[in-house]
Amino acid sequence: MLIVRRRSGQAILIGDQVEIQVLEITPGRVKLGVMAPREISVLRAEVKLTREANLAAAQAVCPEKLAELSNRLRSAGSAQACTKPPDRATERPQGACDPS
Amino acid sequence: MQFQTRHFGTIEFDRDAVCEFPAGLPGFEDEREFVALEQPHTHPIVFLQSLKRTELCFITLPVQTIQPDYRLSISAEDLRLLDLPEDRQPEIGKQVLCLAIVAVAEGQPPTANLLAPVVINLQNRRAVQAILSDSGYSHRHPLLAGREEENVCSSCGGGPARRF
Repeated sequence: MLIVRRRSGQAILIGDQVEIQVLEITPGRVKLGVMAPREISVLRAEVKLTREANLAAAQAVCPEKLAELSNRLRSAGSAQACTKPPDRATERPQGACDPS
Repeated sequence: MQFQTRHFGTIEFDRDAVCEFPAGLPGFEDEREFVALEQPHTHPIVFLQSLKRTELCFITLPVQTIQPDYRLSISAEDLRLLDLPEDRQPEIGKQVLCLAIVAVAEGQPPTANLLAPVVINLQNRRAVQAILSDSGYSHRHPLLAGREEENVCSSCGGGPARRF
């Protein structure tokens, strides 16, 4: 990793099309300005983490594993989870997630 | 309305139960409509079923069941997407439903994404996956870590599935 010390108002260049400026430094936080061509996506790293987490979470889960998870959550149960108002819905999804 | 799903068969729901994600979710930018479903035997899990892809269904948990003192710090941009006032954080359970997406991978302990909860405005069903950058919450918060079996709650079971 390249490590560069910069002061407020200074910048670094990445290639000849991307410029990152240090706009403001406060305790615990830096404000950066990024100038880049439109086709280069600029994201906070958390967005990438969340995208990866979503893709991993979207994998199919077997019904047995789901039932086990909900059983363990219930056993560990918080008061809040147990004092919800009664179910008010009308239909019941059928099929694959039934653990029986 | 009806929709054929892979995991639940055919589900029926009212138009006003549909949650609209104007920006999709990271990794699923084209998925704009979901319904939240609950089944008695998998309580407290809430399923977020896509209304576009039959097989896409996220497993989620209300954040308070994971962390009772969970605090929101939604960005002004996301509050605008939700049609909520930008000068204060909404109240979980009253103004918004707040769900953490759970990852259940084979051979690994389940984790929940507390860094980026799905926030649903209960008034108008607009929803975003809000990334709480400064919150310090993890995108892989371990579930059930160090928890022992205790106090089985008998009142959780029974009843029909719930539609939000």
